[in-house]
Amino acid sequence: MEITQIVGFGLVAAVLVIILRQYKPEIALLVSVAAGIALFLAILGKIGAVIEVLHDLSRRANVNMVYLGAILKIVGIAYIADFGAQVCRDAGEGALASKIELAAKILILVLAIPIVMAVLDILMKILG
Amino acid sequence: MGANIDLIFKIAGVGILTAVLHSLLKHAGKEDQAQLATLAGVAIVLMWVIDLLGKLFDQVKTVFRLF
Repeated sequence: MEITQIVGFGLVAAVLVIILRQYKPEIALLVSVAAGIALFLAILGKIGAVIEVLHDLSRRANVNMVYLGAILKIVGIAYIADFGAQVCRDAGEGALASKIELAAKILILVLAIPIVMAVLDILMKILG
Repeated sequence: MGANIDLIFKIAGVGILTAVLHSLLKHAGKEDQAQLATLAGVAIVLMWVIDLLGKLFDQVKTVFRLF
C-alpha cells in the first residue's frame, strides 16, 4: 500500500520541519526539500511505467515520435520548474519563484513552436 | 523509500545537533566558534540534499527523456 507509506513519510517530515524551524530555519528548509525529493523519487517509477505505455500506444498508432517526445519534455520541464518555484516560495522568495516560472514558460514555448508550425502547415495544406 | 526516511532523520539530527552546539558555544562565550559550528552543520546537510537533488534530476532526465 504505497499511499500509507507516502502519507506517513510526509507527516514525519512535516513534524521534523516544525521542530527545526524555531532553531535553524535554513536546515528546516533543507529537510522539507529533501522530503519533497524523496517523495517524488518514490513515485517516479510509476510515472515511468505510464510513459512506457504512452510510447507503446503511440508506436502502435504510428504517431510521429517527435510530438510525444516534445510533450514529455514539456511535462518534465514543467515539473522541475514547479518543484524549484515551490521550494523558493517556501523559503519566502516569491520573486525568485516567479522568475523560475517565467523561464519555464519560455522554455516550454520554445519546445512547442515546432508542433505549432506543423499544425499550421497541415492547416495551410487543407485550406490552401 | 526506506533509505530516504533515514536520510531525513539524519538531516534532522544534524540540524538539532547544530542548534544545541550553537547555543552551547554561545553560552560558553565563544561566539565565533558557534557561528562556525552552525555553518558546518548547514554545509553537511546541504551536501546530502544536493546529492539527493542530483539523483532526482538524473531520474527525471531518464524518465521524461529530457536533454
